[in-house]
Amino acid sequence: MTGSIPIVPLGESAWTMVLGDAVDRETHRQVTELAMRIQAARIPGIIELVPAYATLTVFFEGEGEAIRRSLAALADAGSLRGASAAAATGSLHTIPVAYSGPDLDDVALATGLSIAEVIRRHSGREYTVYLLGFAPGFAYLGDLDPALVLPRRPAPRTRVPAGSVAIAGSQTGVYPLTTPGGWHLIGSTTTRMFDPAREPAALLRAGDRVRFEPIR
Amino acid sequence: MITLGKAPPFATVQDRGWRSGRAMGLPRCGAMDPLLLAQANALVGNPPGTAGIEWALGAGEIVVEEPCEMTILGAQRVEVNDRPADPEHPVLRLDAGSHVVILPRQDSRFLYVAVRGGIDVPLVMGSRSTYLPGGFGGFEGRRLRNGDRLPVGQAHHAPLGGTVHPRHGSGPAAGTGADVVLRILAGPQWNRFDDAAHRDFLGGRYVVTTESDRMGYRLSGPVVRPNTAATLPSEAACPGAIQIPDGGQPIVLMVDGPTVGGYPKIGVILAADLPTLAQLPPGRTVRFREISDAG
Repeated sequence: MTGSIPIVPLGESAWTMVLGDAVDRETHRQVTELAMRIQAARIPGIIELVPAYATLTVFFEGEGEAIRRSLAALADAGSLRGASAAAATGSLHTIPVAYSGPDLDDVALATGLSIAEVIRRHSGREYTVYLLGFAPGFAYLGDLDPALVLPRRPAPRTRVPAGSVAIAGSQTGVYPLTTPGGWHLIGSTTTRMFDPAREPAALLRAGDRVRFEPIR
Repeated sequence: MITLGKAPPFATVQDRGWRSGRAMGLPRCGAMDPLLLAQANALVGNPPGTAGIEWALGAGEIVVEEPCEMTILGAQRVEVNDRPADPEHPVLRLDAGSHVVILPRQDSRFLYVAVRGGIDVPLVMGSRSTYLPGGFGGFEGRRLRNGDRLPVGQAHHAPLGGTVHPRHGSGPAAGTGADVVLRILAGPQWNRFDDAAHRDFLGGRYVVTTESDRMGYRLSGPVVRPNTAATLPSEAACPGAIQIPDGGQPIVLMVDGPTVGGYPKIGVILAADLPTLAQLPPGRTVRFREISDAG
């Protein structure tokens, strides 16, 4: 096993680089590190990079083989593993939250914690943005305090208001737009996670860090 | 200005969509049949990527407030001031006050209306496409309704004139009802499916179901299952990606589809063939042909 990272086609206009097959912080750190290296290399033809939990997908225009060769040259798993863990370049965002969501009581009941304890455990840590998807500006944040881990709601809501702060599995997030959703709603924020008129439109990027701050 | 005197059930302003934005969860959006919109734009002398109206599911009428040049591709029939338009001369030179009645085809889903100068709604993040799930872009982020007035932009180039024979959406198999063959590349999770699953998938006939929209088309046919039930961490997807969810029935992601997903992707339809699928009404059948270099 030479430690090279598989590079597989996603259609004719993207390459997916596969760093792992599970959700864990170390693999994601390597994804973030790899994305930085590719950005720095300024390979012609690349439109954008889409990091996810354990993969990095490179969307491009034109001839893909030359790009693939350039990516392969950067895809040294050994050096990614060895790269400094202190390379946390993502911005830190603090999001004020009014902890009074419609599912807060149910979450307290299901976890056996008091509401105050749910709030303390949710707001008391720094999360990493793993990826954005599902809707523009929807950031998957991890990892939740294990005591708060719950499966998704059995029946999703058809309408979750924009700004809802939610949890499911070992993730947390904020709904940027009013959409259907199956996560547990524990609070809300007035922070605009996505604004098409703003630059950047999405507040968070993969690799950023987030803290939630309870407000009265 | 042009007015939707009578809007069809499903019309939106679309151009080529958002070239980048996937990294923040914004899908490409834009026309479901970008090739047909591009032809329409070329006919009226618009630059590629100019915004037009994507029109589906019913008849309707446009009233033109000022003189303009317009072309409508993919319709069954167009009438200008109660007279049938000549399909051999698709560029309509319209006087102020003209009424244009549009009747869609039964054998293809989307027709396109291009006006010389383009539909001049505000740019959002550099595009005039409509993102319906989020309610932004295009005309007020929504489907067009009766009475909507759409501004028309300034024209820059002369129209080509009416001698071009346009492709009408569905391609050669449209009229016959035969299976449409869609070429695919093996997807990132192709190897999660064994040889038998590959054979079933590539040998199968899949029906386009009624659960088909701009986010994705659900197909019905031979069940396909991956080797392992192990979930896949969400990763980037793209229009044309063929996802295999728990029931083993494929879903093809379309232009408004989510940018990431955790279902295995057995294949990705070639960009040249995706508009053909997009134009197939429910009930039509498709087969897949894998054309990766590895054979």
